[in-house]
Amino acid sequence: MRRLRGYGSLLVIVVVAASVLLYTLVAGNKPLLGLDLQGGVSVVLKPVQQVDNDTIDQAIAIIRQRIDAIGVAEPEITRQGSNILIQIPGVKDKERALQLVGQTAELQFRPVLANVPIDPQSETTTTSGDPAATTTTAAGATTTTIDPTKTVGGLPLDVCTAGLTAEEINATGQAVLPQCKDGLLVGSYAVGPVSLTGSALETARANLGNTGQWVVAPTFKSGSDGIGGFNAVAGQCFSKGSTCPTGQLAIVLDGRVLSAPSINSQSFKADQIEISGSFTERTAKDLATALKYGALPVEFEQQQAQVVSATLGRDALHAGLVAGLVGLIAVAIYMMAFYRVLGLFAILKLGIEAALLWSIISWLGANNGLALTLAGITGIIVSIGVSLDSNVVYYEHLKEDINHGRSIRSSTDKSFVSAFSTIVKADVASLIGAALLWWLTVGPVRGFAFYLGLSTALDLLTSWAYMRPVVKLATRSKALLSRPWLLGLPAEKSQERANQKSANRPIAEVSK
Amino acid sequence: MSKLGRLNRGETNIDFLKWWKIGLAVSVFLMVVSVGSLLTRGLNLGIDFKGGVSWEVSAPGVTVDQTRTALDAVGEGSAKIQIVGTDIIRVQGPESTPEHTIEVTKTLAELANTDPANISFSTVGASWGGDVTRSAIRALVFFFIAILIYLTIRLEWRMAVAALIAVFHDVLISVGAYSVFQFEVTPGTVIAFLTILGYSIYDTIVVDDKIRENERLVGQSGRLTYGQMTSLSMNQVLLRSINTTVVSLLPVVALLVVGAGIMGAVTLEEFAIALTVGLLAGAYSSIFVAAPILVWLKEHQTKFKVIRERLQSQGVDVAHASARVDLLGVTSGAPAIDAPSASAAASGAAALGTTSTPSGVIPPRPRKNQRKR
Repeated sequence: MRRLRGYGSLLVIVVVAASVLLYTLVAGNKPLLGLDLQGGVSVVLKPVQQVDNDTIDQAIAIIRQRIDAIGVAEPEITRQGSNILIQIPGVKDKERALQLVGQTAELQFRPVLANVPIDPQSETTTTSGDPAATTTTAAGATTTTIDPTKTVGGLPLDVCTAGLTAEEINATGQAVLPQCKDGLLVGSYAVGPVSLTGSALETARANLGNTGQWVVAPTFKSGSDGIGGFNAVAGQCFSKGSTCPTGQLAIVLDGRVLSAPSINSQSFKADQIEISGSFTERTAKDLATALKYGALPVEFEQQQAQVVSATLGRDALHAGLVAGLVGLIAVAIYMMAFYRVLGLFAILKLGIEAALLWSIISWLGANNGLALTLAGITGIIVSIGVSLDSNVVYYEHLKEDINHGRSIRSSTDKSFVSAFSTIVKADVASLIGAALLWWLTVGPVRGFAFYLGLSTALDLLTSWAYMRPVVKLATRSKALLSRPWLLGLPAEKSQERANQKSANRPIAEVSK
Repeated sequence: MSKLGRLNRGETNIDFLKWWKIGLAVSVFLMVVSVGSLLTRGLNLGIDFKGGVSWEVSAPGVTVDQTRTALDAVGEGSAKIQIVGTDIIRVQGPESTPEHTIEVTKTLAELANTDPANISFSTVGASWGGDVTRSAIRALVFFFIAILIYLTIRLEWRMAVAALIAVFHDVLISVGAYSVFQFEVTPGTVIAFLTILGYSIYDTIVVDDKIRENERLVGQSGRLTYGQMTSLSMNQVLLRSINTTVVSLLPVVALLVVGAGIMGAVTLEEFAIALTVGLLAGAYSSIFVAAPILVWLKEHQTKFKVIRERLQSQGVDVAHASARVDLLGVTSGAPAIDAPSASAAASGAAALGTTSTPSGVIPPRPRKNQRKR
């Protein structure tokens, strides 16, 4: 068993790499492709004035709601300093997505003609059960006929995730609008024409009402454009006239009903209005924010917007992969020409790193939404060089030691110690660079830094756990030892010659 | 013995002391050209740095003139129109409204006979590129400080300073190349420039580690000046430097030639050009910039100054490396210290070239130093 000492890490790394790769393949995890590779819309918004963190977070929440409203898959909305980065992959109607993001949406007050509450539970099951059917009924969203049993309040089941069309959102006449909660349809409202817009409001806040419940208190502007207009429609609703038979007034943003409070009084004073209901602190504040700002709590300036067509994205991915493959073959040929079997080991080391990297990227893509971008792919291609550098440093050290008269066997361990010290120094320098780039930069540079850092760390791991034992193993093989050229190593110098040489060497003789 | 064979055994006999002088001239020339070009021509900044709109569409067979005629109708006749890659038309215009952007997109779609969804476009506010650059420069400053501290701890401050000057040299020359050839600078280019730092540092560390290993030679025997010892170390790590550069360069060249050139993925080109230039500069600078600066710093240290002066007083040629390498490597029975004449220096290279004795210049470390693992 003593012979096997020192090889444990080899077994561990090979088993670990193979099993995580197997897990990734079985679990069906795949790297999440960035926008530049799969096509989509990416927008960077910058607040016009200095704002605090809470405001940015509020804005992000609102932007998320709005993007959900146009129904795209998994928008990624993140903060970068005070900037907001919005990434929407694979969206079809790119232009509208672009227009909607960051644009000040109009808040509307509309009388409710009829409403149908929907049990979100039954709705989910139907949606997931037959997604094809829901897409085909999308056109039915415009109908004003309410037939709760068949069309679920006149709305397609997936309206909260699929979204409404621009026409539906901008319609000012009668319409059927959804109320959504966490992407589920919870209510359907047939609403009348727009009676009042958000510009009638002065401000709004959420506070605890007299009963200990959260309430939202809007304050209207004075005059007929403000409280006057509100009282006009409130009066209609209070008396449950034909224009407002339900007595409810819907607050609508981006074609979605945020809330539809019942009107309990004939007329109101501008600053003494309370919207109560089953609000939590969170929902009350959200509604107050929506009322206050219409759409966003702060004005944003679109710093960068990028729309990548799916074709160009695919082409870039394709070209990146082919280029990576060609580069890989080229270095494989070079390494094997130079270092023969040891070169092959170096390529296998790349294989182990690739298995680990693929699994990590896939896992992060599935769990943390980390997307692989073109910059990331470049980082990975660059890291091929970083990884092989370690092998070159070790192998050259080995050759040098053997040239100096050491036996191949004794050289493997000793060379590794000094070579690994060099590798650690160099890799740590790279890691410091990658970490700093990741912390201090924005946008594409971050993605690049992340993948470069990740592959450098993997290189450190595999250099120690794989390269060290596998070279040791090779130099224990009698078949290889008798043919050192197969290892790309020089022949061992016989002990006599080495002795003679050192005797002849003046530097060893002359002593001060 | 072929030159390649000697290279393979780390036994080349290049007089780096001489080459450093040539290297100095080359580096100074390149840096002057870079600075001069940056001052006069400046950089060809992409729209990411100036602000504006850029469209890209794959339109085989459509010419620049056709595109210009079509765009004239929507008021973008003065836009910059290029064909990039094989068949991709790139149009760059000033900042405008979203409505106008979409109008142009539709025009281009008609021209290319494709759906508007197949057109990529990006609009950039003028401050965006500035933010990217500012954050990159900030990262750069922190990187310099961190590396300076790290290398000072792991190696020594002189090596750290030399490495950073080499990195600065690389970045300056790479940026200079972008200015001279007027390649477009994009955020991708900025990323690539940052990568160059990593490569350059990596190469320099490998060389420095070898120099440190050999430093004993100077300290203990006092038979080499620091410069000669460094030149010797260079010879020993030459193949290592060449190989690490080749294996790093091959994937990047593949990116440039196959990805960008043959397959026409323009975005890859941004990275690949800067990386190729930077890699070459990095390999060059670790040998021709970092090392001589280190030697210069070191030979001002009293210890190494004394050795140098003593050798000089003994009449040993300290201006060339080959003399001492020869001295160490010769197999003639006579101790070389008896023949310190200039003729030894003159015939030095030839003498080693013809000798058939493989000469490991450094004696194997004594057994007692072997650490148990």
